[in-house]
Amino acid sequence: MSGERFLGTEDLAGLVGDLLAAGTQVIAPAVAGTCASPAALASSACLRPGAAPELIQYLSIQDPALLALGRGMPSLSLKSFFLPQNEALLHWKQRGSAIELEPAPVERRRRVVLGAKPCDAAALEILDRVMRWDYVDELWVGRRDATAVFTLACPMEDDSCFCPAVGAAPDGTRGADGLLTPVDGGYLVEATTDRGRELLAAHADRLKDLDALSDGADLRDQAEAFRAAARERVAANLQIDAESVRAWIATHYDDPLLTALGVRCNGCGACSSVCPTCHCFDIVDEPDGVGCGTRRRCWDTCQTGKFTAHASGHNPREDQNVRFRQRINHKFSIYPLRFGEVLCTGCGRCTRVCHAGQDLVEILATIDVAARRGEPEPTAAGEGDAA
Amino acid sequence: MDDLRDLARTLLESGEVQVVIGWEDGRRGARPAFVTAPEGAGRLIFDTRCVHNLATYLNPRRPQLTGLGKVAMVVKGCDVKAVAGLLREEQLTRERLVIIGVRCGGVLEEPALPRAAELTPATVAPRCYGCDNREPSLVDYLVGAPQPEPPPPAMTIDDRVAALDSMSPQERWQFWTDQFSKCVRCYACRQVCPLCVCERCIADKTMPQWIETASHPRGNMAWNLVRALHLAGRCVGCGECERFCPVDIPLSLLNRKLQQVVADRFDYVVADDPEKAAPIGDYRPDDRQEFIK
Repeated sequence: MSGERFLGTEDLAGLVGDLLAAGTQVIAPAVAGTCASPAALASSACLRPGAAPELIQYLSIQDPALLALGRGMPSLSLKSFFLPQNEALLHWKQRGSAIELEPAPVERRRRVVLGAKPCDAAALEILDRVMRWDYVDELWVGRRDATAVFTLACPMEDDSCFCPAVGAAPDGTRGADGLLTPVDGGYLVEATTDRGRELLAAHADRLKDLDALSDGADLRDQAEAFRAAARERVAANLQIDAESVRAWIATHYDDPLLTALGVRCNGCGACSSVCPTCHCFDIVDEPDGVGCGTRRRCWDTCQTGKFTAHASGHNPREDQNVRFRQRINHKFSIYPLRFGEVLCTGCGRCTRVCHAGQDLVEILATIDVAARRGEPEPTAAGEGDAA
Repeated sequence: MDDLRDLARTLLESGEVQVVIGWEDGRRGARPAFVTAPEGAGRLIFDTRCVHNLATYLNPRRPQLTGLGKVAMVVKGCDVKAVAGLLREEQLTRERLVIIGVRCGGVLEEPALPRAAELTPATVAPRCYGCDNREPSLVDYLVGAPQPEPPPPAMTIDDRVAALDSMSPQERWQFWTDQFSKCVRCYACRQVCPLCVCERCIADKTMPQWIETASHPRGNMAWNLVRALHLAGRCVGCGECERFCPVDIPLSLLNRKLQQVVADRFDYVVADDPEKAAPIGDYRPDDRQEFIK
């Protein structure tokens, strides 16, 4: 690819410094939790002799030294930088019957995300479809428009990853403006949108032309080998036909395979919290004192009973089996039907975070088998004989 | 393990129960199993990866399980304290439940391993150290060979609580403020707790909104403290809230501190005797009240 340029590790740090100096916010995977006292007391992992566990999260960094690119998957997705866990929509003041409203400012500060997981960037594009649909969500769109995203080609995290099965890729640039691929001494950088190209052009002094480097051809081979190996590795985890899965779910609403999925589920909703594509929110009014307050929106999850509780007391989704079916149905049937995209990027976080053993890889594989054969495989979704 | 499987098969074949809830090998380690057919009994396992407190599936907030019929549940000594808690609070009918106890030598901190691993100070669940109930007594059947005591963790929960106690109030406040600031308000801690039995949690009440739902410091502090206090004298210390927390808030330290306070103030330690009333449901004229001035 002719557009690729070389960014040395030191130049990456320099680039981050340049961006910060220009007032741009830089978001990147960074070491979030340290085992420094007294926080070490919080983690039994920190207390083990000789242990130095790292917690990697996407953080807004002030110092290039905090960059932790390619050191594992952030346990929370990039979503909170576009749809925060809670954010003010407006403030109100009330005097007698007069109410004053002050809308929250729409964020417009320029931002650059460096080293996003390709699955997390793809989620942004998938969510754009609903956020720019009948009602344009100004807060989401404002942040999207102000943010350039560069993904970092991913070697694959573990056996819960399945991005190619849902149309993403470990070296993808969907939802992003460019891609970094790790090579000896740094990264190959490639811009895929005008915004990405403008960013690279503005920082051309940090980049080197591959043709001008004596080992340029070798670096290009390294990058291609890295990406090809990752694609092959992750493809082995799960192979499904997303379209027949969608069609099967849409026509098998009451199939035992879909009605017993939530037996072991605790309804904790942690899967939604860590999911890059789960985007449901609840709007609450919170008083800030007498006669004034803030309207906020907060993440919500379809995995709790409160999500669908009616004021009458009736709840159309009365148990976890029905709530978990909704999760699968929305992601793999309803959203693709309406927006043409599966509401999942195969990041695997829901499977990793579930301590009850709910396993999306296994569930999708089972549905895929049912969709291909026209009937479900007994016991395979892990609901045992109950399925 | 054969005695566990044979017993489960017999119970299902005879029709005494319709489902046996135990553990099985999943793709990513041990996980809860719901066996409804006798031929499925061979799936059941018990080893150091069987971390989950399955008593949470007896919680009445589990309508997805009511249709499965009478339950036989495999429990460790720690889990059975939660069963006793549900019986004590009349959330459960003893006659509707068959309890299969397993002799336990401690479990790992995490069950996500392809096979059982030996317990070492680096891998053992810290709560297992000093366990007082490795052979559960509130059971209908007891299976498995006697197990050795679990090793101590690198630092015990009591030592960690003592380290927090030795901080100044400002330092301790900062510690908990930092920890709660991570909270994403998913309520996983509540959902997995075998003893969070409220049909409608105070956090879900909106008229009035007692606890703010936004994950700002005020809302997070309110939620985490109310959760802990509502479990004072009821929490069995199974640690599932901490294990399920997606942002690793050390809830076990808070729960243990409250256990210590309850032991000190009310001379009460949570045990597997459902007849022994918990302080929260018990009035005694001689309760200390020197704090009323």
